[in-house]
Amino acid sequence: MKARNLSILLASLFVIAGAIFAAGARAAGEVPAPPAIGSTIEDFTLPDVDNKDRSLKSLAGKNGTVLLFIAVQCPVSNAYNERMAKLAEDYKAKGIAVVGINSNVAEDAAAVKAHAAEHKFAFTILKDPGNKIADRFGASVTPEAYFIDANNKLLYHGRIDNSRNAEQVETSDLRNALDAALGGKTIEKPEAKAFGCTIKRA
Amino acid sequence: MRFTKAIVPITLCILLVSLAAPAQKRKGRAAKPRKPVAVVSPIDTEALKGLLTQQRERPLLVNFWATFCDPCREEFPDLVKIDKDFRPHALEFVTVSLDDFSEIKTSVPQFLDSMNARMPAYLLNVSDPEPAINLVDRRWQGDLPATFLFNEKGEVVYKHIGRVNPTELRAAIEKVVSRKGDGQ
Repeated sequence: MKARNLSILLASLFVIAGAIFAAGARAAGEVPAPPAIGSTIEDFTLPDVDNKDRSLKSLAGKNGTVLLFIAVQCPVSNAYNERMAKLAEDYKAKGIAVVGINSNVAEDAAAVKAHAAEHKFAFTILKDPGNKIADRFGASVTPEAYFIDANNKLLYHGRIDNSRNAEQVETSDLRNALDAALGGKTIEKPEAKAFGCTIKRA
Repeated sequence: MRFTKAIVPITLCILLVSLAAPAQKRKGRAAKPRKPVAVVSPIDTEALKGLLTQQRERPLLVNFWATFCDPCREEFPDLVKIDKDFRPHALEFVTVSLDDFSEIKTSVPQFLDSMNARMPAYLLNVSDPEPAINLVDRRWQGDLPATFLFNEKGEVVYKHIGRVNPTELRAAIEKVVSRKGDGQ
């Protein structure tokens, strides 16, 4: 009887401790950890700005895909508008597709569509309701980039380059990663911290 | 007589001009935007390293923020209250803005003024923020706001990424401040 009571007590303590830990983790508002470099990215489907479902597989380039978490109102993301448009243009010819993802809860599809037209984005932008894909990728800011190769392996995660001011760019980390992958070389810096506006999650 | 006739309109003109001039001045002053009171100093990675790692007599609270960051702006009133409550009790508190350098004399001090913030304010003036972010905490991704509490030895004793929980932050500060009071 005593042993039974003890096991019930221990089980209760375990459940309470688990609940406290889970609540604490949520309260801290921490973004889930991003997938490790080299891990396989599973296909996903999100609506585009015209509310048409698009899968990652259907948008992927033959040599890989760059996912860019972007925003409409973030000044840091907006400082990269021209660079993102040029990136998509430059690498389309090299078989790498650029796909934008907007996970900000306060920016609806109409705003994203208008912003893309204003800045002449020639790449597809997806809306991420409930920031499920931002959570899956552990994306925390805008702009934040992920490069997935043709075999769905994550090869690069982080910033586009070192500075929001185009004149102060010294290291084009994302372009360096894409060029290395296209040339069959090892990516020297597969991770670089992205700096920008925190994604406004639901 | 001719002289008397001439002096009347001249005097009137002088009077009108002298009355109009201060009005013009007042108008000009009203149109000019008020100069911010808060002084924001530029800080580079080396200077930040010096600020964070030096031995000091008081614990140091550092809040990294930016005007474009909604949760940063939302938490600021709580931070100002914490500064007012703990500064007399041996806490140093500085803020480091990650806004663009072009905003060091405009939107950054204007926001600090609007919050009545009086803690020393810096703006990270670097072309590449990554070394500074890694210097503070290698696990910090640079997302804002981010708040770190350093003890007198320069060690991080509390950190929070995202909007602070004022109760939790106050408890962490009290622990460090009271430790000193306990003679440890």
